[in-house]
Amino acid sequence: MRDAFLRFVRHKPALVGLVLLVMVVIAAAVASLLYPGDPFRIVGKPFQPPLTDFPLGTDMLGRDLAAAVFYGARTTLLIGFAATLIATVVGVTIGGLAGYFGGRADALLMRLTELFQTIPFFLFAILLVAVLGSSIGKIIFAIAVVSWPPMARLVRGEFMAMRNREFVQACVSMGMGHARIIVVHILPNTLSAIVVTGSLMIATAILIESGLSFLGLSDPNVMSWGYIIGSGRSVLRTAWWICAVPGVAILLTVMAINLVGDGLNDALNPRLRQL
Amino acid sequence: MPSLAYVLRRLAQAVPTVLAIVVLNFLLLQLAPGDAADVLAGEAGSATPEYMAQLRKSFGLDQPMWLQLLLYLKQVVTFDLGFSFRHGMPVSELILSRLGPTLLLMGTVLTLAVFVGVLLGSLAARHLNRWQDNLISTLTVLAYATPVFWAGLMLIVLFSVKLGWFPTSGMQKVAAFHEGFAKVKDIAHHLVLPAVTLTLFYLALYARLMRASVLEQASMDYVVTARAKGLTERQVIRRHVLRNAMLPVVTMAGVQVGAIFGGAVVVETVFAWPGLGLLAYESLFARDLNLLLGIFFVSTCLVVMVNLAVDLCYSMLDPRIELR
Amino acid sequence: MTLQRLTRNFLALAGALGLTAIAPVLAQGTPQKGGTLVMVVQPEPPTLAAYQSTAGPVGQVATKVYEGLLEYSFDLKPMPSLAQSWTVAPDGKTVTFKLTPNVKFHDGKPFTSADVQFTVMDVLKKVHPRGVNTFRAVTAVETPDPLTAIFKLSEPAPYMMMALSSYESPMLPKHVFGTGDIATHPNANRPVGTGPFKFVEWQKGQFMRLDRNPDYRKAGLPHLDRVVARFIADAGTRSAAMETQEAHIGGFNAVPPVDVKRLSGLPHIATTYKGYEMQAPIVQLDFNTTKPPFNDARVRQAVAYAIDRQFVIDNVWFGFGKPATGPISSNFKANGLYTDQVRNYNVKNGVEMANKLLDEAGKKRGADGVRFEIVHDVTPYGEEWRRFGEYVQQQLAKIGIKATLRYEDVPAWLRRVYTNYDFDLTNNWIQTLADPSIGMHRLYHSNTIKAGTVFVNNSRWTTKETDELMNKANVETDPKKRAALYHDLQKRIVDASPLVFVHELNFVTVYNKRVNNFPVSPLGLYSAMDTVWLAK
Repeated sequence: MRDAFLRFVRHKPALVGLVLLVMVVIAAAVASLLYPGDPFRIVGKPFQPPLTDFPLGTDMLGRDLAAAVFYGARTTLLIGFAATLIATVVGVTIGGLAGYFGGRADALLMRLTELFQTIPFFLFAILLVAVLGSSIGKIIFAIAVVSWPPMARLVRGEFMAMRNREFVQACVSMGMGHARIIVVHILPNTLSAIVVTGSLMIATAILIESGLSFLGLSDPNVMSWGYIIGSGRSVLRTAWWICAVPGVAILLTVMAINLVGDGLNDALNPRLRQL
Repeated sequence: MPSLAYVLRRLAQAVPTVLAIVVLNFLLLQLAPGDAADVLAGEAGSATPEYMAQLRKSFGLDQPMWLQLLLYLKQVVTFDLGFSFRHGMPVSELILSRLGPTLLLMGTVLTLAVFVGVLLGSLAARHLNRWQDNLISTLTVLAYATPVFWAGLMLIVLFSVKLGWFPTSGMQKVAAFHEGFAKVKDIAHHLVLPAVTLTLFYLALYARLMRASVLEQASMDYVVTARAKGLTERQVIRRHVLRNAMLPVVTMAGVQVGAIFGGAVVVETVFAWPGLGLLAYESLFARDLNLLLGIFFVSTCLVVMVNLAVDLCYSMLDPRIELR
Repeated sequence: MTLQRLTRNFLALAGALGLTAIAPVLAQGTPQKGGTLVMVVQPEPPTLAAYQSTAGPVGQVATKVYEGLLEYSFDLKPMPSLAQSWTVAPDGKTVTFKLTPNVKFHDGKPFTSADVQFTVMDVLKKVHPRGVNTFRAVTAVETPDPLTAIFKLSEPAPYMMMALSSYESPMLPKHVFGTGDIATHPNANRPVGTGPFKFVEWQKGQFMRLDRNPDYRKAGLPHLDRVVARFIADAGTRSAAMETQEAHIGGFNAVPPVDVKRLSGLPHIATTYKGYEMQAPIVQLDFNTTKPPFNDARVRQAVAYAIDRQFVIDNVWFGFGKPATGPISSNFKANGLYTDQVRNYNVKNGVEMANKLLDEAGKKRGADGVRFEIVHDVTPYGEEWRRFGEYVQQQLAKIGIKATLRYEDVPAWLRRVYTNYDFDLTNNWIQTLADPSIGMHRLYHSNTIKAGTVFVNNSRWTTKETDELMNKANVETDPKKRAALYHDLQKRIVDASPLVFVHELNFVTVYNKRVNNFPVSPLGLYSAMDTVWLAK
């Protein structure tokens, strides 16, 4: 573990990512200190470009974009991490069990996965939000529901391949328990794939949220980056900064998450560096 | 080699999945407030309560829910997708007219994304932690994190408005109504921008997956063995590493089919591409149940078949995987 | 609100004040023959059954195929169309139309008074959403000869003469639509009319193609070879298509207001706000007046004072609009029905006035400064409404009302607001149309409180006096007396404030300068476009 930590901190891009991510977390934490009150409040003239009266300018109703971005960091991080966490736990459990045990369990679990996966995911998320309503908890739920199947399939594929490896076969013939084989021998070997996919999944969750917001399906009482982009979209060509500011925020966050993911990947799988 | 019996068994297994999806979506849609008659009245401008009642009756909405479901299932089993009252057309006709454009866009995007993604991914892995790797990683993440509608609109601004190379939207030039080969060329011309926009988004996934996968495979014992046997690096990579590294990529491609099939709503919106995603999206908000369920049904069948194909590919890429 | 609600999708906007300088390009030079006119129509119409849907996109296409008995001039006067002349009997109860001779439907069969009788009595009076109301006084249509149609009325119906355009009342062929169930007729999406263009094909999700009708009743017309309606769901792309000249014309804010300003700077683009005179939409806030807190007129007035109308116009609708004073659009200044002599809520110290009224109403502020909490519903017809909702939320906060926003999709919102009445305050817009009797009465008359009927009286505020005024105005044939009735009505409604009248929405049409002879009537995109021509 210590080695892994050292490998991680030696990985420069990963450190950069971590620093960025920490900055986003801090932004989320200090939002209400820096900008007390409602981020939806109208504070100035609309359509002011950045670096005028307001550091990041104002949007079409004259709301301070800097305040919106700070508050948005909260919502966006919450949605990204919460949805991914739920989806990963569900996906790894279902995919792992299916891939490891195969046979009837596999058929059943994969049927379940297929069920959720054949439904066009974005459309299904829209359907869920349309039916359940667009409060933030329901949006997280909807994103998690549509996000886990790819993880399950990926983990299943890895487990299936792993199940037939010599060392697993050896463990089985030695009479080792299934739980132990899965947790100690197979899971660590699939971790890199899970981490890589998981890191992209956070990003995907953030992007799904922005897609839903773009279609007007966000929580109207909560400020999020997706919401700012969605509302600024129609003025993309006349007031570029309204989309660009939260867009860059999403970009940096997604990039940071990915770099950290890569760093973890390399750190947890030292053999990968030998190519 | 998988047997025909295996394929048939898989298809038979799929039947309950398909039906379960239809039932799940049917029930979910029952939870949504408002119905097709509300929407039609809203669009028409007004309607008397008597007219609304008559509408609901002719749509079958006055029946109890379980009866509606039973009737629908009975239809679906005979591959009759019913009638879209909103469009005044059979659902199958509506879906068929959108299936071609959808498959065209989906096929192009998937092929491009997998091909370019595998190429970039292996390239990045070959040049691990060097500038090529960093450049590829940065660019693909950039492409991935850019909101699709923003990328689409920017491509339109650059390539249609400023440069005039491609049309902004649609699938064919409506002022011309080309026939024959000119029509094919015209459609291909219209396909470029939406396909590129969507590919940019999916590319990152394949490139990253391929990179990670190549690295993982390269560290495997069998590769070390192959090297020890005296195979050249090129042979090792091509014969062993790439082949095995393709596994997760193929898995993901299979998964993505379902996603792209209906998930291209945004691109279809931006480029006015007449795909199924947009049709499904519109039918949801119009509470056009038959149409929406029909689209779910067709996409389900499609994904079932693609998943089967993916599993067949598996066994070819890695003979150790048993198909049971 | 009858007019197609979905046209508001994305951008219900209005051109007006800011655009007056940009006059429509008037017809110049000799019309050139041929060419394909590409219209962007937003959203794609669900059907082409113009006889049972007043949806805007349906109207934009169907009016090229079907014609009406009358057309209208910019001063809202009837003009000949399928009827070449008409006379109204002194008692107002008989209207005789002389039909234009030698008119043929697209299938070659002649157009006769039997078609008029069939259309009005069997179709419009039964299945047309507004026709039910427009033709309610018509008891029979007599057809003494093929070119004479006599409307028999149970009482005078001055408003009916304003509703005979091809958009409001399209004339159908009896030999086609006379058989089968009209509600689900197979020809709904294969229209057969008498208009300048024939329906050819509809590729769902892409375009609709209409070709020149060589046997059109007006010799030498139409100038165009073809009209194609294109459906592009994204507003940004619609603007881009206008820029690249892939599309030639788009109205009802198919091009969003914020882009209208940008596009009008381009050398090949012109804009106009003309051609919407018969829609007259008004942006409003609907109260639920049957329960606290908005059953108290003082509370409703307070909200009306709190809204800065000019701010909404400038920042939510990007300058395209004009403050509204009451339930009737200022368009009706032309025929004297409109008055601005009503209580004025659009004042500088509105927030102060509002706070005073709320204090008077006994709505005291709590320790946190909040008097009471409400849910504010946002009409799901595009982002302007959402921004408008956010603005209202902020303004209400200033007067101590804590509003939570709720955003649902179209069917859910319609159910909530027009069937279940499960709302406090919702934003909305209605069109006062060609006559207040058709467009406005439905929002205030007690007989239009009908659960399950959309775009009628959902605030459920009524008084005997206002009902009476509307009943009288329905049958009053003397224009001066009718105007006086409406002036009184406006005063009473504005005082009680069952709705907040925010602003008059004016749509903008953006078109390529190659397009000539547009618009030629107050119906704008809802007209036949037979005289439109495209410069090479």
